[in-house]
Amino acid sequence: MTAKDAPRTIRELREAQGGKRKPKEPKSANPLRQGLRLERVPDPCVVVLFGATGDLAHRKVLPALYQLRRTNLLPHEFMLVAVGRRPYEQDVFRQEIAASLANYSRVPVDPAIVDEFVARIVYHQGDFTDPESFDRLSAMLDAIDLEHGTRGNRLFYLATQPSSFAEVVGQLGRVGLDHEVHGAGWRRVVIEKPFGHDLDSATRLNREVGKVFREKQVYRIDHYLGKETVRNLMVFRFGNGIFEPLWNRRYVDHVQITVAESIGVESRGAFYEETGASRDFLQNHLMQLLSLVAMEPPAAFEADALRDEKVKVLRAIAPMSPEEVRRDVVRGQYGPGWVAAKHVQGYRSEPEVDPESETETYVAARFTIDDWRWAGVPFYVRSGKRLPKRASEIAIQFKQVPHRLFRDTAAEPEPNLLALRIQPDEGILLRFSAKVPGLGIDVRNVNMDFTYGSAFSVDSPEAYETLILDALLGDASLFTRADEVEEAWAIVTPILDAWIDSPAPAFPNYEAGSWGPAEADELMARDGRRWRRI
Amino acid sequence: MAATQDRAADGPIAIDGIAPVGTPQLRWASRASTIDGIERELARIWAEPKLTTEVDGVEVRNIAARTSVMNLVVIAQQSEDGEHGAAIISQLTGRHPSRTMILSAADPDGPGWLDARITAQCILPRADAPEICAEMIYITAGGDTGRHLAAIVEPLLIHDLPVTVWWPGEARLESQQARDVLASADRLVVDGSAWRGDGLARLRELARVATTTRTAVSDFALARQSRWREAIASTFDMPEFLPYLRSLRRVAVTYGTHDDSGLPGGTNLVKPLYHVAWLASRLGLTVIKPLAAVPGAPPPARPGVKPSPGRGYSATLRQGNADIAVVVRPVLSSTPAGTTLRVELLCERRGSELRVDVTAEAESVGVRAWQDGVEILDRRFNAARRTEADLLAEAIEAGGRDQVSDDAVRMAALIAAAA
Repeated sequence: MTAKDAPRTIRELREAQGGKRKPKEPKSANPLRQGLRLERVPDPCVVVLFGATGDLAHRKVLPALYQLRRTNLLPHEFMLVAVGRRPYEQDVFRQEIAASLANYSRVPVDPAIVDEFVARIVYHQGDFTDPESFDRLSAMLDAIDLEHGTRGNRLFYLATQPSSFAEVVGQLGRVGLDHEVHGAGWRRVVIEKPFGHDLDSATRLNREVGKVFREKQVYRIDHYLGKETVRNLMVFRFGNGIFEPLWNRRYVDHVQITVAESIGVESRGAFYEETGASRDFLQNHLMQLLSLVAMEPPAAFEADALRDEKVKVLRAIAPMSPEEVRRDVVRGQYGPGWVAAKHVQGYRSEPEVDPESETETYVAARFTIDDWRWAGVPFYVRSGKRLPKRASEIAIQFKQVPHRLFRDTAAEPEPNLLALRIQPDEGILLRFSAKVPGLGIDVRNVNMDFTYGSAFSVDSPEAYETLILDALLGDASLFTRADEVEEAWAIVTPILDAWIDSPAPAFPNYEAGSWGPAEADELMARDGRRWRRI
Repeated sequence: MAATQDRAADGPIAIDGIAPVGTPQLRWASRASTIDGIERELARIWAEPKLTTEVDGVEVRNIAARTSVMNLVVIAQQSEDGEHGAAIISQLTGRHPSRTMILSAADPDGPGWLDARITAQCILPRADAPEICAEMIYITAGGDTGRHLAAIVEPLLIHDLPVTVWWPGEARLESQQARDVLASADRLVVDGSAWRGDGLARLRELARVATTTRTAVSDFALARQSRWREAIASTFDMPEFLPYLRSLRRVAVTYGTHDDSGLPGGTNLVKPLYHVAWLASRLGLTVIKPLAAVPGAPPPARPGVKPSPGRGYSATLRQGNADIAVVVRPVLSSTPAGTTLRVELLCERRGSELRVDVTAEAESVGVRAWQDGVEILDRRFNAARRTEADLLAEAIEAGGRDQVSDDAVRMAALIAAAA
């Protein structure tokens, strides 16, 4: 390099050195962690689990914590305070958890590790409306800090009925358990879905939570975001150079998002009567998947940058008028039928369900995103119970080739399709046309199929393991922010309102084991399209 | 290469039933004695429309997927190395289906010849999943042909898939044969703890590969120690102990030996040395005095302490302006020679001392720490010793270069410079 082209400014010097300035490592970083499974381990802490005797705690939260403990991903100084209304002797509760882990753990349990894990559980009986119970909880947590070195770090996990969220948060605030004092520990709260039941209630709940906790302390769980394929969606889109240039209205004809369940409402009839498919799936899982598919690349892979982009997508979906709801949204309710070779009853015959119920167990909708990238590209979403199988996927249907060169082929070649399977058999499929071997030109569709199970057969972590670990590490990337929740409700609430004002269809309108009501097929057929056969 | 006539090929293997989930099953076996013949057989496996399992005369399951995520080349010096390698790779069929070539050379002074056994192994990864099948080719080459392994490997690689070369046993990385084979390799996998003598010359060769070629290296000896590293690192996760890392003064590694002569070079030192090298590379230490045998008679036996047959080795590293004493000490032990038995760290900071002592057993690792003589930590982590199949799978999954591993290998070579 001659003196003439030597760098003159800091920026030029940096560019001459061939890259960005190396980010300064925080002083607190442990250099020995680099390259290990976790570059950072969670701080010593107490997890306070509200609703510890409930189904969610037993099926998901406790097995996830056990698995994290088993694989040494929890801090050594870790305690779990289980809060529930029922009275329990400590030992009896621990035995119950040990038995429950044996049932619900995704790996065979190791009795020695289970013993060690349950020994860290302290049961705290208390009513969520009882201030005295929270006073005792606060004193108990201080004592645990002193005895077990958990350093004032607390994760409050609300696995309760949604109606208790505001009460619990308010009580935590009243006894000062939300206060983060510099150097004296962090305080975080994990709130399960559903977060509100419409826009007003979600806004109110956000306000109540916001009175006590700052937004960066709040982790709203939508477990779909912890699923491996959903996380991979971002890697797929932004870690590959070939797809993103095609990911727009110029090449994409439409997008289909399906979250299908073969099960009915199981033992959750009362809960489902209050929610229905729109509140249970559309407002959260489907809207999350839609925003991840449609969002612009974030500036950085960090929580707020990511969530800013997702919110922009939701804001670009205009709330529907009642007329648009009638045209673009279909609701359904299953009647009796056959699923997986078994006869099943209709929704109205399920336990705890009103025999005249008008709750929808199926919803399909057509959304448009009014932005530069997606203008004119419909996004079709559907979700339902008692469909033929459990399957979730996102399908990007590309446009047909502009000119049909191979006119004499036996079958009309279908346009390219990219399907991202979320469950089961997580993977990615690309459909394209190929010539059938032979003398003539015959074109058929072939699939190039990537299956997670065959390329990486290491076990994927359960979504709850990923999310709980992230919450303990203070990474909110996979959790929903207050404005995100409200924007999603702003889309779904006008649909619910329009349904209140219009008579329900003649429920049940689809047979269990079918792919939903005929109107959902008509929704697609009207645009000259059809749902993918999954 | 001598082009001899292919022997009659066999083909699909008749089986009595589907093997249980996760159990590899041989479904095709044939032979060839030329590269063309091997390629023909490979094509025949997947072109065979009737490669269907019949149980009691009923077709029960198709071989649904020919799957390869990589090319795996095993260089087996001894036939038992090849058999051992094949057994481990079979365990990975469902996890990392690969085109595997197991190469061994024989009769170097005779005429050139090649004998290949082409097999397809199939496995059901899950009861509800399609079968996954992968090819395994056992190739033995004699005479000149055996001296040009790259000429056998190259035409048989599946294009566009990564190439991993696994060299169990003595990896003669300095040989031209190794250079040729590694020229097309994305990753070299070795086990430094299996090398003869102290293993340090081969370690320096491994560092050369890591430094001067585009081939990433994975050493089982280093990968095995990840549970030790997790345990050591965990001590310094605590904010009050983290500053001590900048004031390391002594690292002592005790290893097991069966050699009671106390003479240097008798026991493999790769594993003990990797502990020091990992710490040195992560903490940015420099080498002042490389590893050298400490002369003199063995230290006198002390009650309760395992006898040491020699004084071991020492080195000096530097952190800022302070020297760090490194001691690598043998003790007679029934564990495999060269196994690390204990890692001790001593840090001194502003008049305060932190001592960390790490030991491992088959299923766990223990860490104890003392601050100014007061015990402040006694932890045990559940962390089982990993199998070769686990280590090979990890090496394969690593993808690109692992900076931490590369740094440790290079640093180990620097510390071992004159040993």
